[in-house]
Amino acid sequence: MNRLGLIVEREFLERVRKKSFILVTILIPILIALSLIGPTFFMNAVDSKAKTERIVVIDNTPGQIIGKRLPSDSRVEFQLLPENTTVEEARQKFGYEVYCFGILVIGEDIIDNPGNLTLINNGASSLSVEDAIRERIQGIIRTERLNRYDVENINSILADANVHAGIQTLKNEQNQEMKSSSTGGSVALGFIIAFFIYMIIIIYGQMVLQSVIDEKQTRVLDVLITSCKPFELMMGKVLGIALVAMLQILIWGGIIMLLVAFALPAIAASSGNAEILLGSIADVHYIGTLVITTILYIIGGFLFYASMYAAIGSAVDTPQDAAQFNSVIMLPIIIAIYVLMAVIKNPGSDVAFWFSMIPFTSPMVMMARIPAGIPTWEIVVSLAVLYVSFVILIWLASRIFRIGVFMHGKKPTWKDLGQWIKMK
Amino acid sequence: MDPILRIENVTKTYVGHRALDDVSVEIPRGSIYGLLGPNGAGKTTLIRVVNHMTMPDRGKVWFEDHEITDKDIFNTGYMPEERGLYKKMKVGEQALFFARMHGLSRTEAARRLKDWFSRLGIAEWWDKKVEDLSKGMAQKVQFIITVVHEPKLLIFDEPFSGFDPINQNMLKEEILGLRDRGATVIFSTHNMESVEEICDDITLINKSQNILSGPVDEIRRKAGGNTFLVVYNGSQEDFSASLQGKAFPLGTPDSILGGFTQQRIHIPDDSDIRPVIGMLNEKVALRSFQEIIPSMNDIFIRAVNGTL
Repeated sequence: MNRLGLIVEREFLERVRKKSFILVTILIPILIALSLIGPTFFMNAVDSKAKTERIVVIDNTPGQIIGKRLPSDSRVEFQLLPENTTVEEARQKFGYEVYCFGILVIGEDIIDNPGNLTLINNGASSLSVEDAIRERIQGIIRTERLNRYDVENINSILADANVHAGIQTLKNEQNQEMKSSSTGGSVALGFIIAFFIYMIIIIYGQMVLQSVIDEKQTRVLDVLITSCKPFELMMGKVLGIALVAMLQILIWGGIIMLLVAFALPAIAASSGNAEILLGSIADVHYIGTLVITTILYIIGGFLFYASMYAAIGSAVDTPQDAAQFNSVIMLPIIIAIYVLMAVIKNPGSDVAFWFSMIPFTSPMVMMARIPAGIPTWEIVVSLAVLYVSFVILIWLASRIFRIGVFMHGKKPTWKDLGQWIKMK
Repeated sequence: MDPILRIENVTKTYVGHRALDDVSVEIPRGSIYGLLGPNGAGKTTLIRVVNHMTMPDRGKVWFEDHEITDKDIFNTGYMPEERGLYKKMKVGEQALFFARMHGLSRTEAARRLKDWFSRLGIAEWWDKKVEDLSKGMAQKVQFIITVVHEPKLLIFDEPFSGFDPINQNMLKEEILGLRDRGATVIFSTHNMESVEEICDDITLINKSQNILSGPVDEIRRKAGGNTFLVVYNGSQEDFSASLQGKAFPLGTPDSILGGFTQQRIHIPDDSDIRPVIGMLNEKVALRSFQEIIPSMNDIFIRAVNGTL
């Protein structure tokens, strides 16, 4: 096996064999799943645990038509006070009772003026109680108003008329079939992928940095460098860690596929937009483009940043010394995340275009634009720029690396790095 | 003897600092070559130039019959002063990795390593992690890694540091053995005793320049300056008179235990010292007569201080 291969193999095996790798690989998808399911779960838990709140009702409408029809349930229990009870009387009687949540005053003209509704709380109010009250009152008012028209079979007419519109956006492209895409689903998808690339670059880029610093500190580099060229060493590290990333992504992908296969139908059943969401995801051609571009941007973006991290790692002695360089590398990555927010809203803007061409930000920004549908040439140009600049950067990085690995002691400055690049 | 390595007028400047200034060294094939010098003199830079880790600004390095190239590092084994091993990796796995990096096949590497490990008495450590080894043990592993591919040129930087006397001896034997099997050894050290014991030739670098080069015996004899130490019993006047211009006393005589006197003399023409001994023998009772050969330690200090 050649030397580059040996270095790649060693880097890869060292990491993959660690217990922490196996743990992280399995735990991360579980954590993500938990963070998605968690909030809903807790909301439900809080709601279901809540006690029944008692509310006394003063209904000033003629015949107490609202109050009489307020349904009590396990969440709220309504107690209608006799007609003509004044607020004062009610306050005196129930105002300080601990087991009474509050006094609901329904205005005389509530059917024409739905805002005429007052809740006098005895203690802290609760959004969920207020929601429960509002929902019930609205239902009664709507029914009352409809009844005024005296239409037959009003309920079946209503059921028939109750629709939710979903927008099916189609893209106009010359010489091609129109592609369907749903804005909501694909925007979310683009954002998720962009964020994922961001995570990969940060996590594995830092891994390259740490690995080079470690080997420099333990002087392993001095030994290694006598058996291979600095370039082989640097590329071996970068590629070895890239393989680790690939393996991890594949495993995560597999786990997510499994989750999706089982969980998506369930989500679909409970969500109104499910069909549209599923429709866009199930488009094989679209998914194919997305997967391929994602892979190309992950590889390009990782190599682009990893070579910078390797160069920095070679130049410094400790992670602390690396901090000043690291913050500069992080800057464009963080800018990319900010731009991402703007891009999601308007993928066709100039800002979105230029940031998806600049190699420092393109892996993230372009991935957020692609699901929204952009011309193929833009993707091709952006990828070409990324890969060309990655080659240039690797070359520059290896110039720094070959000098940096032997430099101990003084923390280098940007000027030093520049001089190393120029050095013969 | 044809040199395996020829360093010709090498100059290397780092930013604002000249590490090597017009240094020339020839290293004879099959020799053990000491590279000496105070800290910061430029030894490490010279080693890096030889290892092709860094390029000289001026001058050339020849390996055998050609100017040195990247490929020649595969004919080289280098043990840096600060040892470098992967701490978390198992010893055997690590040795295999480095041996294969040096171009050995997996099976060949395994065969040679097993052999070396049992020879140096660390066979049972094959599956241990480096961080569990003592310093001496790790040094042995490092040594094996350096020599396992049997390179033509071996470079050791302070190979004996961290070893107890028994292991130092064992290592010395191994280094001599490697030389006898045809390897050339460059060895950089501050331990002058070991230089006297095993080096055939040396170069002394001071302040980026080669200030002294040559075979150890020759250098020591020359540094002695034809000085002899005579111990005798008799009068000092008789002693001085008997030298008759063929030898000259150096310094003042010392009285030493047993009533003897000790005197250093310089004999300008030392091709035959018998006449001097004969004349002395007639006048005083000679107790001993020996050439003063300075230790490498003396020579080092005098050379660096400019008093050699």
